[in-house]
Amino acid sequence: MTFRKVAIVGMGGIFPTCKDIDEFSKKIFSNQSCIREWEDAKQYGKKVRSTVSGYVSLEEAGLEEIKSTILYDYPEFYKDKWERIPASNLSTADLGSIWSMLATKDAIVMSGWNEKEVRSEQTGVVIGCGAGGNEVSRKAWHNFFTLDKKTRFLGTHNVDRCMVYRDAANVSCLIKSKGVCESIGSACATGLGNIGYAYRLIAYGLQDRIIAGGTEGTSIESFLGFDAMQVLSRGLDPEKSSRPFDTARNGFVCSFGAGIVALEAYDQAKARGAKILAVIDNYFNNSDGSGDMFAPSFEGQQRLWNGLLGDDKKRLFPDVVKVHGTSTPLGDAIELLSIATFLGDSGYHVAAPKSQFGHMLGAAGAVELITALLMLQEQKISPCLNSENLNEQPESFQIESDWQGVKEPLAAYRNLLPQHSLEKEINRIVCLNYGFGSTNSAMVISKDNHD
Amino acid sequence: MTRQEVKDKIVEILKTVPTLNQKNLDNITEDTDLITDLGAPSTEIVNIIAKAEEKFGFDFEDDDVDNIGSTVGDTINLILKYADKKDEA
Repeated sequence: MTFRKVAIVGMGGIFPTCKDIDEFSKKIFSNQSCIREWEDAKQYGKKVRSTVSGYVSLEEAGLEEIKSTILYDYPEFYKDKWERIPASNLSTADLGSIWSMLATKDAIVMSGWNEKEVRSEQTGVVIGCGAGGNEVSRKAWHNFFTLDKKTRFLGTHNVDRCMVYRDAANVSCLIKSKGVCESIGSACATGLGNIGYAYRLIAYGLQDRIIAGGTEGTSIESFLGFDAMQVLSRGLDPEKSSRPFDTARNGFVCSFGAGIVALEAYDQAKARGAKILAVIDNYFNNSDGSGDMFAPSFEGQQRLWNGLLGDDKKRLFPDVVKVHGTSTPLGDAIELLSIATFLGDSGYHVAAPKSQFGHMLGAAGAVELITALLMLQEQKISPCLNSENLNEQPESFQIESDWQGVKEPLAAYRNLLPQHSLEKEINRIVCLNYGFGSTNSAMVISKDNHD
Repeated sequence: MTRQEVKDKIVEILKTVPTLNQKNLDNITEDTDLITDLGAPSTEIVNIIAKAEEKFGFDFEDDDVDNIGSTVGDTINLILKYADKKDEA
């Protein structure tokens, strides 16, 4: 089977503390943090462990919550104060879906697709999320079960605002595309997983264009779920709280955002003179097979790397590895040692964008792919903020007899992890993301060398 | 309760429904169709009826809600039907 080459021709997103992608890029490459104290979490006092997040407020996104006149505290509608999305589309959307629509509009403008192309049977939408519709759902059911309201008082949009593929559905209804419309779910690998699936649809010749990505609307419910698992960073200043690979890391920062990219068959994009942001060389995903819902697997990640590069390792050797790098104790160690085992200890750098904006859950892989696209564009590596001290002793699992990876401690790879943005010729980047359920995703993208 | 009083209250409800074409609310008649004249998605009718049910303090039967038409007059008729029942009681 002959696979078609796939290009990324547009991108858009919703980013914490940034009004647009230009400000996001500026903050990324000037080593700034997008993480803040979050009053929505702090208000619960000692009931909540973590109080920092890379959140996006309604006000910052130009939205206003309109409460129901017949239900208690129910967000009936999010008004777009800047009039970017029609009311009929807003009525079927939760917060994340609105972000998906806004980011899609930006990605389509950048892609240069005309209306006929957008509304084609050859244009699909593949967008997923980690969770969503939480606030709508929680308050709707409180009104029914506790306050004894009738189901029709909940309104007719509780389903479409909370269904699993509402991001893809709302975007497709907005742009009136006629191709595939689906969502892929793979927890924190969702963002990259949806883009990977979209890549395959184009590579296999099933679609010519796809809007793809991941979204995670600001949700205190999602935050509290992870807080309950004791996996969130706590006790550190906001800008210091996400510190991948550092010895003082104590959990991830739960964040929110959206990342959408426009993918197109490369030959078609070139034929119409599109600006190619990157070429997708390959996408690969697998599962650990360990039977463990949460623990990372060195063996699974080695198979991931082999599946991604395999015999093409030399040809596709990356200049940068954009890691998942959540700032969790075990995950970071396994990931870095897995990379060093497969790629060696030199010839590339590691970028850890979660150090700047935290972990956007279902949006993480998509927003981090956008960060990688910005790295190609700017020819700069995003930093591993706060990766100050790396463990100079081997990890406990490294001294076990069945350990198959490199024996050196994390500190041996200090030179791979710039703590500040670094200028460098970047032609190729590998993006990695993993999710609960032992799922792993990887994509390799390159600068277009046929301008 | 007169038809005009009911109509005025229904217009107040319609002003809280963002998917309606709000510019057309100034010239509402009983023949105004919520879908074709005000641009409501068909799913919005139930939301409007639910708001009327709460605002007027009635407990509509499911059959009445299922069979409701899409004009302002249809909603007025439904309200007055329950108002009459209340008077009889």
